[in-house]
Amino acid sequence: MSTARVAVVVFPGTNSEDETLRAVLAVGLDGELVHWSQPEKLARFDAFILPGGFAYEDRIRAGAVAAHDAVIDPVIDAAQAGKYVLGICNGAQMLAEAGLVPGTAPLRRPTAAFAPNASGRFQSVHVHVKLVVAPERVPILSGIEAGAVIPAWASHGDGRLAAPADELGRIERDGHLAFIYCDRDGNAVSAPNGAALDCAALVNREGNVLAIMPHPERDAWTYQHLDASRDAARGNTQATLAPSGGIKLFEHFARAVRESVPA
Amino acid sequence: MSAFRTFAVSLTIPDNEAFTALETLGRLGILVGRIVRADIWQFDADDSAAQDLASTIASIETIHNPNKHRLAERQSDRPASGEVWIASRDEAPARLVAGRSIPGVRGIRRRTAWRLLDDSGRDVAPAALDRAVEMFLCNPAFQVAIKT
Repeated sequence: MSTARVAVVVFPGTNSEDETLRAVLAVGLDGELVHWSQPEKLARFDAFILPGGFAYEDRIRAGAVAAHDAVIDPVIDAAQAGKYVLGICNGAQMLAEAGLVPGTAPLRRPTAAFAPNASGRFQSVHVHVKLVVAPERVPILSGIEAGAVIPAWASHGDGRLAAPADELGRIERDGHLAFIYCDRDGNAVSAPNGAALDCAALVNREGNVLAIMPHPERDAWTYQHLDASRDAARGNTQATLAPSGGIKLFEHFARAVRESVPA
Repeated sequence: MSAFRTFAVSLTIPDNEAFTALETLGRLGILVGRIVRADIWQFDADDSAAQDLASTIASIETIHNPNKHRLAERQSDRPASGEVWIASRDEAPARLVAGRSIPGVRGIRRRTAWRLLDDSGRDVAPAALDRAVEMFLCNPAFQVAIKT
């Protein structure tokens, strides 16, 4: 099987590219950072990740400027051709601003947004998110089991899903609500940011574009966990540095990307 | 009794956000010579507080930093001709600014005012402003554009 290549797209103000690339490499993908000034490089990649941060300082609105950047054009083209696109935090905001998620209207005509938190403040909190659509709805996470629970760190000032009532109805009815916030056992909890539908992630109709607000890549190694597993691994370097927790999302993403690449 | 007062706070230093908006609009085919942007602060204040409101908010650095901001009271609580205000659709009036209350102030609303000028310094055509709002300045999922 050929090695699947993933571009981690970096904008001025991105701050999560290194840990995202690290997670990509840990699950056996061939990853590379591609800067906003290099859109011509993107044609040779099989999948794309828009990582977290504050692209263009969140000027105008979080994700809005990046969603109109030249480097997004090939990402949009790739998404429309069926390639996989994962947006994390600021990347999720870009995907909403670009209209790729929920994807119920023409491109760059956003129908939903990850708007300022209800608290009006930046929040950083450990969370779990639960898959609430059928696994078949998210081919971007190939092989993920129904109701899968993934730990992550929510770290954002603009993570509250907001949309008109009829669009929220469409999101829920048509299976665009991919993940909701939950406790470690998978029981639904209120979104810490006040998100409508307690939404943590949206997926497009085809299931190849996923926009997730919390950061699984920041809880992808045992030493990053906020539970007993971290304490249990203490003193054992190999166990402490082992990929676990949020890496699960990348493992399913990697499986999807590999399956999409001709042998 | 209470009074409703509107203030515009604009930058006296180069406005990077306005410049970024200008660049992005250019990418979208909306050619603009210059953009003037301001934060609009609206206060619902008791009569007693309204009298000193300008000097009170001028001293709150999170609203007005004299080293880089210009503060001007607006005579109208609506946008001026040629201007558009972008506001959160579901915004409830706040009571606090940066975690602090302002004595006598019952509610605070914040908007962003945008004015798009052509190369000769005149307002762009209304249709161009409408396109800028629709394509970039306002996300209708959670924002609303307020015009004259």
